[in-house]
Amino acid sequence: MTSLKIIAAPPLATIQDQGRFGMLKFGVSASGPLDRAGFARAGKLLDGLAGAALELAGGRFAAKITGGTVRAACSGGNFALSVNGKPRSWSSRIVLRDGDQLEIVPGKQGNFAYVRFDRELDVPLVMGSRSTNLIAGLGGFDGRNLKTGDTIGFAKAALAGVKSGSNPRPDDGPIRFIWGIHADILPKDLRSAFAEGRFTVSAQIDRMGLRLNDETGVFARIEALHLVSDAVVPGDVQILGDGTPVILMRDHQPTGGYPRIATIVSDDLSRLAQMRPGTGVRFEPISLERLERERGRASK
Amino acid sequence: MPLGDEGLLVRFAQTLDDCANRRAIAFARRLHDEPIPGVCEVVPNLVSVLLRYQPESITFQKLAGEVRLRLLAVDETDSQAGRHWDLPARFDGPDLAEVAGLLELDVATFLKAHAKTNLRVLAVGFAPGFLYCGMHPANLVVPRRKALRSRVPAGTILFAAGQTAITATEVPTGWHVIGHTDFANFDPLANPPVRIVAGDHIRFVSVR
Repeated sequence: MTSLKIIAAPPLATIQDQGRFGMLKFGVSASGPLDRAGFARAGKLLDGLAGAALELAGGRFAAKITGGTVRAACSGGNFALSVNGKPRSWSSRIVLRDGDQLEIVPGKQGNFAYVRFDRELDVPLVMGSRSTNLIAGLGGFDGRNLKTGDTIGFAKAALAGVKSGSNPRPDDGPIRFIWGIHADILPKDLRSAFAEGRFTVSAQIDRMGLRLNDETGVFARIEALHLVSDAVVPGDVQILGDGTPVILMRDHQPTGGYPRIATIVSDDLSRLAQMRPGTGVRFEPISLERLERERGRASK
Repeated sequence: MPLGDEGLLVRFAQTLDDCANRRAIAFARRLHDEPIPGVCEVVPNLVSVLLRYQPESITFQKLAGEVRLRLLAVDETDSQAGRHWDLPARFDGPDLAEVAGLLELDVATFLKAHAKTNLRVLAVGFAPGFLYCGMHPANLVVPRRKALRSRVPAGTILFAAGQTAITATEVPTGWHVIGHTDFANFDPLANPPVRIVAGDHIRFVSVR
């Protein structure tokens, strides 16, 4: 049987398909790739038919193919890829034969790399998805991060067609957001601080959330609002009690009671997830009407 | 109101209120019975309902119109319609004495008073299959604990903020631990994975 043996696993290494939708009412967030665009690009490199991805972040990944030949595609960010020690370009499609060793290390840009194959990964469908949900400890490979020594088989399961990625946006523009569900009850100066201020991405980035450094300290003055908790969605910008702004990512808790000043536009969340710690980031409000008009144009 | 560019939140109140909770649950049921094309997920919360939609299938404006139509005829007495569950429970949690003390009751009197509330599931949230149940009367309201417990097991019965909650997975909590049930409300391999849902009714049956 063809399988993939992990020789070195980075700190974050999970299996992700498009996500586990429709389960939020049961208290389970959808998971799925943090960089949907990168995930989709890897799928397109395999002519639009690909299995679930390995999502890799935070260090060196190395794995060996045994028992057969597979085609693989790597994308997301800009990582350094090599096969049997020979550098290959990023993103690219590669053929891996019995005994070949694949290595991916962080490169010029991005936090999350995606590797997909021309066949499905042999992990069970849990609630309709192969995605790992780290906060609930379910899906993927025993609901956990992949570790050195794990072996993943390839299954005969049919492949899902690759959905088109999000609308391409310039890499350097501000991250767009819709005002959040609590923006109207937050002081005006906090709102303008968010829309006009400069933030940097902190080192705390994982599948649950991305913390921002608020260099001006403007959010530290936030007063407790005693909100009733509501369902949250990926991209929600919560201000924690100590004033830390956190952008919720795809393994978010299903509900949250912190004030939400904004929700990042879904197309821009992928780009945000790939911003390295220390990167400066600016946010720009956009109305839903304008976003819909722009999307309408893009799809014509 | 919009929640990002793929979500719409219908809020029935700003604070936790029994009537708003019943309306939220009834509205979510109505959306289930009369689905709106383009809506991929309906999530009832304590006092709101989240709809997640596909912006390529329906605009926010159109969706808001469909929502208003369905809001017109929401009858919260509908939410009487939940299922009834008898859950085996042992009330022997480590915080029981502290809770009774906060209410100036002895443990037996507290448990008697606790059992008098007809518990309704207000929402599933926080973690898989985690149930918020209420509402206890004002004389049974205690605040959360100051210290967080980093892990309590599935089936833990929690008490705080005028509510009783039941965990279905291992979770951290700042609520008081008052008991345990062997009933497992979350099984990722079952379909649906959660058995007790918002609007259902719960009664604890003491076991030894």
